[in-house]
Amino acid sequence: MKMVKPILDAQDIYTYFYTESGVVEALDGVSFDVYHGEPVGIVGESGCGKTVTAKSTLRILDKNGKTVAGKILYKGVDLLELPDLQMRKIRGKEIAMIFQDPMTSLNPIFKIDDQMTEVIALHRNCSKKEALEYAIEALEQVGIADAASRVKDYPHQFSGGQRQRVLIARALALQPSLLIADEPTTALDVTIQAQILELIKEMQKKHGLAMMLITHNLGVVAETTKRVHIFYGGRVVESGPTEDIFIDPKHPYTRALFDSIPSLEKDKHRLTTIPGLVPRLINPPKGCRFHPRCKFATEICMRERPPDIIIDKQKARRVQCHHFDELDLHVDETTMQERTHVKEEA
Amino acid sequence: MVSTFEEYEAIDMFSEWNPKTQPIINLIDLKKWFPISEQSILFSRVVAQIKAVDGVNLFLNKGETLGLVGESGCGKSTTARVTVKLEEPTEGSIYFKGIDIFQPMTREEELAIKRQLQMVFQDPYSSLNPRRMVLDLIKEPFDIHFPDMTYEEKETRVLEILAKVGLEDYHALRYPHEFSGGQRQRIGIARALAIHPEVILLDEPVSALDVSVQAQILNLLHDLQIEFNLTYMFIAHDLSVIKHVSDRVAVMYLGKIMEMSPTGELFRKTAHPYSVSLLSAIPRPDPRIKMDRIILEGDVPSPVNPPPGCPFHPRCYKVQEICSKVSPPLDELEPGHFVACHFPEI
Repeated sequence: MKMVKPILDAQDIYTYFYTESGVVEALDGVSFDVYHGEPVGIVGESGCGKTVTAKSTLRILDKNGKTVAGKILYKGVDLLELPDLQMRKIRGKEIAMIFQDPMTSLNPIFKIDDQMTEVIALHRNCSKKEALEYAIEALEQVGIADAASRVKDYPHQFSGGQRQRVLIARALALQPSLLIADEPTTALDVTIQAQILELIKEMQKKHGLAMMLITHNLGVVAETTKRVHIFYGGRVVESGPTEDIFIDPKHPYTRALFDSIPSLEKDKHRLTTIPGLVPRLINPPKGCRFHPRCKFATEICMRERPPDIIIDKQKARRVQCHHFDELDLHVDETTMQERTHVKEEA
Repeated sequence: MVSTFEEYEAIDMFSEWNPKTQPIINLIDLKKWFPISEQSILFSRVVAQIKAVDGVNLFLNKGETLGLVGESGCGKSTTARVTVKLEEPTEGSIYFKGIDIFQPMTREEELAIKRQLQMVFQDPYSSLNPRRMVLDLIKEPFDIHFPDMTYEEKETRVLEILAKVGLEDYHALRYPHEFSGGQRQRIGIARALAIHPEVILLDEPVSALDVSVQAQILNLLHDLQIEFNLTYMFIAHDLSVIKHVSDRVAVMYLGKIMEMSPTGELFRKTAHPYSVSLLSAIPRPDPRIKMDRIILEGDVPSPVNPPPGCPFHPRCYKVQEICSKVSPPLDELEPGHFVACHFPEI
């Protein structure tokens, strides 16, 4: 089913930030891919490099950040080698991005039409008048009622959910092939989050978009994506089809992450926690970056970086763990029962 | 002035209260409106009221955890702030152990009540004074409530409480910026716990934290509750967290309680259409679960001008004519299961 070549193929990217207190190794050999028309999840906790990955891809890193090595192939072209002028044609037109916070992604002193038509006119080579028509059409598509008059409004006249709709409309009006959505629903309430997720899914299917959904919410990933890349400490520790990863995780971090979320399905039990904290990326742990918090860690984990092991080539399942084949991390009924049992004893 | 814990225990203002038959906290028709005023040259006049809390009936029993859930702006935090006497109610009353906490009382009596009612705030980054050491931060409640206690005793107690929340002695001499979010929340909990309260109101204590750290804090709160026989009011917008921690749950919408029942009952026999939609809106972290989702139209209306009748009627899927006219009372449909709806699902 999958096309032969991915639309976005990031190979071994290293992105560093140069700060006063030292070099932050934000991305440390990150490889991932996204195929045509495929929703892919990028999952991890704060500071694991999710957003930096997106920003590296679009080359919009802060001034002190630099992607020092690696390749980011978009439709076969290395984005890191592209001249600035060419890169500007990729941003927005080819790869669009929706940011986390709908409250700050729109300029409060311009009306919605100004903020939308400028980009559209520039990228689609049309007049402002045509651009306005495209903008209204896009707003109608994302479910803004009475779009023709609402474009004359300022951002503060829209609610949080509506602003996120405006941003989605602005991103889709340029007909991109790849959409990067960075925590698009994190700032929203659950009922609004459900609306926006439904809209994103619908738009993704309708336009056949490839999508990178960046989130820390495992529920959102499970419902929206077909494939996931799990990030930890600036590395991709595990990737594969969403269903496989949720049922049969291979990396101890992935499993621990699942165990630490309270669930609606399970009954009240003691949560399994991951001891310690998310690593700081100035002077990160040697070897496997998860080893200080991993209950299976052995001597080799402290010494050597685990290689990228391909478990199933057909399904593109990869894991970075020295001990993946010795561990049974399967999520099933029995382990759940065990857990409730332990609770009763305690 | 009283100066020791023993003397506090001796204040017999709560002798009327019987923990077996009476709730420890009882909110009756609580209203908190904030005026919006318009300033002219000489005078300011009130033009509208933000009805943050608009007739809340709620009770907490000794030793239980009541989860208070709702979307942003529904009045959860205001309810908590009024309950710990940080705000005066506009109307209605709050009984703590059978005593109306807003009746005229002596300073001593007021302190005795406040000592037993403590609060943990949402944002561990802004709720701790950055200029004060952890020792001073946790010592402050003793300075207020036990002014005659010696410095050495206060210090011993601070170290004791630090150990209880999982921090080390040397942390006492550090400043808040040296801690991670999870550790800061531990400091916030230590501050609330310092003077042995009976009730702690937790205002979104884990929503600013990463999932792996969130699990640590939830477990800590659970352990402390058992050790000190605490009563919690746990405010959150995340229903899976609420389900995990609560014995009973109250669902709030636009300043009113929509449904209140034992946790299991609320999830098994959800009665209010708003609770039903709220439950169905949560993305489940399991790709195998496919569900029909009720997606609510539109946004939460403004509390300045809430809809007449049932506040949920403009978004409700079961709305009838009566809903926009008559506000449904919070009725006890089954023992312990309260619902404010004309057409409940059970």
